[in-house]
Amino acid sequence: MSAILELDRVTVAYRERRVLDEVTLSIAAGERVALIGPNGAGKSTLLAVATGLLRPDEGQIRLTGVPVEGLDRIDVARRLAVVPGAANLPFATRVEEVVALGRLPHEDPFRGARPADRAAIAAAIERVGVGHLLGRDARELSLGERQLVLIALAVAQAAPVLVLDEPTVHLDLRHQVGAMELLVDLNERDGTTIVAVLHDLALAAHFFPRLVLLDEGRIVADGSAEDVLTPDRIRDVFRVDPGFVRLPVRAG
Amino acid sequence: MTTRGGTLSTTRPRVGRLEGVRDRPLLLVAVGVVALLVALVLGVGVGSVAVDPADTIAILAHRILGLEIPRTWSEATETIVVELRLPRILTAMLVGCALGVAGATFQGLLRNPLADPYVLGTASGAALGAAIAVLIPVRFVILEFGLIQGLAFIGALASITMVYKLSRQSGLAPLTSLLLTGYAVGSLLAAGLAMAMYLSGAALRQIFTYLLGSFDGATWPRFLATLPIILIASVAIILRARSLNGLLLGEQAAAHLGIDVRRERRILLALASLVTAAAVAISGLIGFVGLVVPHVVRLLVGPSARLVLPLSAIGGAALLAYADIIARVAGGIPVGVVTAIIGAPFFLLILRRARTGYEV
Amino acid sequence: MFPPSQSASRASQSARSLALVASFVLILAACSTAGGSSPSPSPSPVAVATATPSATAAPTPSASAVPAFPTTLTDDEGKSVMITSEPQKIVSLTPASTEILFALGAGPRVIATTEFDDYPPAAVALPDVATYTAVDVEKIVGMEADLVIAGGNFFNPPEAIARLRTLGVPVLVVYAPDLAGALKDIELIGAAVGLSDVAGDMTAAMQADIDAVSAVTAGLDKPRTFYEIDVSTGPIYTVADGSVYVQMIELAGGDPITTGSTTDFAIPLEKLITADPELILLGDAAYKVTAADVKARSGWNVMTAVKTDAIRPVNDIIITRPGPRLVQGLRELALAIHPDLVLPSAVPMPIMR
Repeated sequence: MSAILELDRVTVAYRERRVLDEVTLSIAAGERVALIGPNGAGKSTLLAVATGLLRPDEGQIRLTGVPVEGLDRIDVARRLAVVPGAANLPFATRVEEVVALGRLPHEDPFRGARPADRAAIAAAIERVGVGHLLGRDARELSLGERQLVLIALAVAQAAPVLVLDEPTVHLDLRHQVGAMELLVDLNERDGTTIVAVLHDLALAAHFFPRLVLLDEGRIVADGSAEDVLTPDRIRDVFRVDPGFVRLPVRAG
Repeated sequence: MTTRGGTLSTTRPRVGRLEGVRDRPLLLVAVGVVALLVALVLGVGVGSVAVDPADTIAILAHRILGLEIPRTWSEATETIVVELRLPRILTAMLVGCALGVAGATFQGLLRNPLADPYVLGTASGAALGAAIAVLIPVRFVILEFGLIQGLAFIGALASITMVYKLSRQSGLAPLTSLLLTGYAVGSLLAAGLAMAMYLSGAALRQIFTYLLGSFDGATWPRFLATLPIILIASVAIILRARSLNGLLLGEQAAAHLGIDVRRERRILLALASLVTAAAVAISGLIGFVGLVVPHVVRLLVGPSARLVLPLSAIGGAALLAYADIIARVAGGIPVGVVTAIIGAPFFLLILRRARTGYEV
Repeated sequence: MFPPSQSASRASQSARSLALVASFVLILAACSTAGGSSPSPSPSPVAVATATPSATAAPTPSASAVPAFPTTLTDDEGKSVMITSEPQKIVSLTPASTEILFALGAGPRVIATTEFDDYPPAAVALPDVATYTAVDVEKIVGMEADLVIAGGNFFNPPEAIARLRTLGVPVLVVYAPDLAGALKDIELIGAAVGLSDVAGDMTAAMQADIDAVSAVTAGLDKPRTFYEIDVSTGPIYTVADGSVYVQMIELAGGDPITTGSTTDFAIPLEKLITADPELILLGDAAYKVTAADVKARSGWNVMTAVKTDAIRPVNDIIITRPGPRLVQGLRELALAIHPDLVLPSAVPMPIMR
């Protein structure tokens, strides 16, 4: 399987401090990876660098084998979709209009959505299961519903890689599980590569076959949940009693 | 295995009660164009001198369409219709178009429903420029543009450039920085304006008239000189509707959707400022048009800039044309007062519907 | 200061001397008919012209064998204004110009004035084409005006003036910062409407009157005079340095207290008290301000004028309006400052119609 997203000795420094320190990471097409670590470990920075928002001080990022800095923003957007973390909409916007934004990288720059775009939007709505919310003002949805709509937006973008930054914050348990199950479905049925930053270790362990643990700008572990979340690691990296973290046993 | 959770809330859709209109934006365009044509005829037919409607139409047909019509009207009447009223109504439409587009652009760019074309200091800059022009004992006329128009234009552009440059130096997020700097610079310039007015003596009245906005000074040369600037810049903005749409969810989301945020922000800011400066130079400060028209349009067709921008142009043109007609019929009150009377209730309505958006 | 109006120069000098001679003759005649007692000051314009309206010596057509039109005049802003034929539809945009036009006898040819014109009554009845802030260009064009007289120094909006000129309407801009300027404007307007002779007579008469008053007051003690323009909004507004008020008060035999600045019309109360006026003239008497009001103001009772009850109302309009009644205003002012003054009878002027 070819690497679809690679970080090659990426370093990001911010005033003497190395936020990312020679991070090397390779994600193959079709993988489902969770990025975990304590606050300040550098997870969001890693995402920013991986999605081309931030230029590293050293190292290179390659997307589908092509260095990201050589790509236009639109080219990046066609290869990699990021589920928006927060959405402060200044104006009343319908759910379908929010999802339609996912087609921006594809639609005609002047004339807007083509029939193919409209089809993709409808398909994404169906896929994510927010059809019952059509016509509603996205600003008035519950947090869980909003999150789903934003995932639908990223799905409509139809990029081979889907990135999420802490998508389950503020969600209740039911919606957390629902979102995770959706991600698994997208990954297993459509082959979408999923990279998600998660703070909830239980969710990560349960739904993601590969965990990458980040601490103080370095990858300290990369593997399955059992391999990564050892009691020692939990104690050292997360500084809590390992007993607090109860991990489900996941097969495969 | 997709989640099919039940809806947690069951309220009716609140967005856009006029369902039919939303799907037929072209209908709105047609309505707008008709409104403009009616405004044109009314604007030319109405004024402080009573002109026979038949004469009005005959004059227009003769001068615009070149038809040979036996003259039943006096030369004075023809002058009034063609040299005074026609450029006036056309200028009102042009300025309204500019303000509508600029307002929609600033609201989308700054992601703030309360933004208007003057939010980044353009108003104060233009006013100060005009006040200085009134105080300087220099006569300067090019294409019938006097020192007032010239310095108002320069003042508007200078102030927004200042705001942009200063905002980049602050550590705040770009949008917040722009808004706050705009407020600060605007206040500073307003203080300068107050000082200029204090020193102005006999010229105070003229500064006031400029501040209230009016189309008394609309002439053919001014209209024809401003027309290309506003039209070209407006079209350029409309062609960038995609960038404005991308910004709906925020600058980060826009970047992830393929928008070069920094470049687009700069270009849109420059174009919208240019359009505003041109409008303000020709007509003074007319408020509420840029604020209210885009909201009304969004209520009808949703927030997509591809629709909001051109419809705000048409809507702004129509609103200001009718406002000027009303202002003239009401005995020559300043047109800025009319737009305020129309716009303020609308604005309150919008405030009631405005939300702060997601909390995250 | 504006360049002297060339229209008044040589053409009317002969008319002037003739008028002077005529007025002396008439003064002698008037002295025998009228009582000659000094009228008491009152707020309303005093009709001081006691001489019968038998007009001045016959107008001298010989002085103007040259046809008056077409003519090019230089207005008070230095602009060349070309008037092709004698104007028949005149629009006046300042109250002073209106008075001048009517006094010259061009009243029947005036078709519109401003909203705030107040004299003569015939002018008030005319249609209005201007307010304090705006000029209705459309209306003026619609009336087919062939001459517009406008006020300089932002009295009328300069934009409107420019607009009218672009549309082919001759606009004469007048601005008189002092007495000499007022007389020049009378002659300028006279030339513009084809009544140079009448204008010349009028200004000669006015100048003679001014000189007469000035001669009478020259040797008198000049009381420190505070001219109150307005106090109602808070600041005390009085005369600024170099303003026409200063000139008028000095000619009328007073020593005006000024603000100390040429642009500021407000004076702090402390400064006024220090200056200690011996006489207070109420220029705002028309707005119902009385001596009793002045005495009641706190802090004012220390002034000599208040203690000696030397507070007198005056008609601010005729004192400052640069028109034909200016000399009347001067005379009233002189009598307000020196109530026992005996002034020579006024030189008769052409009647206002």
